[in-house]
Amino acid sequence: MARYAMVLNIDRCVDCKACVIACKAEWNVPEGYSRDWVKEIGPVGEFPNLKSAVYPGLCMHCEDPPCIKVCPSGATYKDEKGRVLVDQELCIGCGYCADACPYGARYIHPDLGVVDKCTFCQPRVDAGLEPACVETCIAEARIFGDLDDPDSEVYRLVYKEGAVPLHRGEVNYGASVFYMGEKEQVELLLEKAPLRKTRFSTAGTVWRIFRPLLGVAAGLSFLGVTVAAIYQLIKGEPKIEE
Amino acid sequence: MQQVNIERLLKQDKPVPLSPEEKEYLRTHYLKKHDVIPKWTHWFNAAVWGFQLFTGSALINSTLFKFMPDWWINMVSELFGTRANLLKYHILVGIIWSVVLVVNYLFGIKNYTIPFIRRNFVLDRDDILWLINRGLGILGMKVELPPQGEYNAGQKLFAMVAIGGIIILIITGFIMSFHIGSAETVKWAIVFHFIAAGGVVAGLFVHIFMAAVLWEEHPSLASMITGKVNELYAYHNHFKWWKEMKKLELEVRERERKEYEEKAKEMGLLPEEENN
Repeated sequence: MARYAMVLNIDRCVDCKACVIACKAEWNVPEGYSRDWVKEIGPVGEFPNLKSAVYPGLCMHCEDPPCIKVCPSGATYKDEKGRVLVDQELCIGCGYCADACPYGARYIHPDLGVVDKCTFCQPRVDAGLEPACVETCIAEARIFGDLDDPDSEVYRLVYKEGAVPLHRGEVNYGASVFYMGEKEQVELLLEKAPLRKTRFSTAGTVWRIFRPLLGVAAGLSFLGVTVAAIYQLIKGEPKIEE
Repeated sequence: MQQVNIERLLKQDKPVPLSPEEKEYLRTHYLKKHDVIPKWTHWFNAAVWGFQLFTGSALINSTLFKFMPDWWINMVSELFGTRANLLKYHILVGIIWSVVLVVNYLFGIKNYTIPFIRRNFVLDRDDILWLINRGLGILGMKVELPPQGEYNAGQKLFAMVAIGGIIILIITGFIMSFHIGSAETVKWAIVFHFIAAGGVVAGLFVHIFMAAVLWEEHPSLASMITGKVNELYAYHNHFKWWKEMKKLELEVRERERKEYEEKAKEMGLLPEEENN
């Protein structure tokens, strides 16, 4: 077992967005979309006591991801190495998962019509390389590794140096991406990083109402014919005379 | 063979008690109920429904949507190797299904599709009464069922649900398979796909029970294979249709008889005394 994780040192991040470009180039992400991002938070406060922080992000590869719960076809899954992946052959492009992700880490590919997202660079990592964003980061702000391996750098940073996941309120799904840096800035990021409220479309609500109704209808129908069949069995088959 | 007076039965508005000779006559005579193409379409449909429900039930896999337990989903998925394969077969069969049905109903639009819809998508007074009385009958009350046409009101209702369901399933199936429209469209397609399937399944239990279990309807199951029903069954269960068909049959016989007679007369084959 392994649990891949990433630590982002926001002290080191200079907001150059080379990671975003590397990712787009590596995975042919279409114009106007991206699998990862660097956002600016702030400045907040009154001059001259202003604070700001950078918020580099990507799919958090949660332990208990809300996106998987809503995927109707089971296209979204968690692999044995802790990565949240999409089987694009199974995906039907409904976007329930994209609505459910509080980090906004998923988008619907405009040409393919299916969901696309960060895979922690699965093919590269499986081939022994680092993720494209990690490899390209000029400041080495991104550290990737196996959180289950006590000798790894991410293990040390998370369990000994106190890197923290971006959780806030209900958004607490066991993220595998951790943030570290100057305390004030990390606090600002945890407090202000834009999180989306999980959306649930009208269609989904309609389905929630209809599912029990359908269950009852099919159940009653099945029960009815079963009772009728047993009744006929007991009564025996009459002669087809009249 | 003893002559049976069919005219007597044709004059009635509903089935009446029959004499042993009449019963024997009706039991040994048959009416054609289904053509070859509708028969094949029915069994093709049945096979497709079996396959699509089998694969589809295992494709729905999330806390929000699934109906079936995990062991079922895993078993069916393993049968097909991967879940992606499972989906491919589900889509492939769906496409074949829609092509066959569309071709079938377009080719038969004049002779089959439109007449079928005209006859069976309208519930008349007797049909409504039949539904009410049938319901009361199920509850244990002894009430008389009004005479029915080619299909009884229950069969008509199921035909409407099944045909409506199939149309919705095919349209939404294409939307989901080929990601047609926005994500919002696909979301609604999922909802309608499942509601249509669930609605038909609820009716399907009754449909299969009626045909395969209920002794009264055994001739109806047999007719889906042979294409014919014996007249005794038709007389009791589909009286209006029996009457219509029988009148038609007598008319045709009468016309044929006259034609033969005229031909024979022209050719001088008719004996003199018959002419008088």
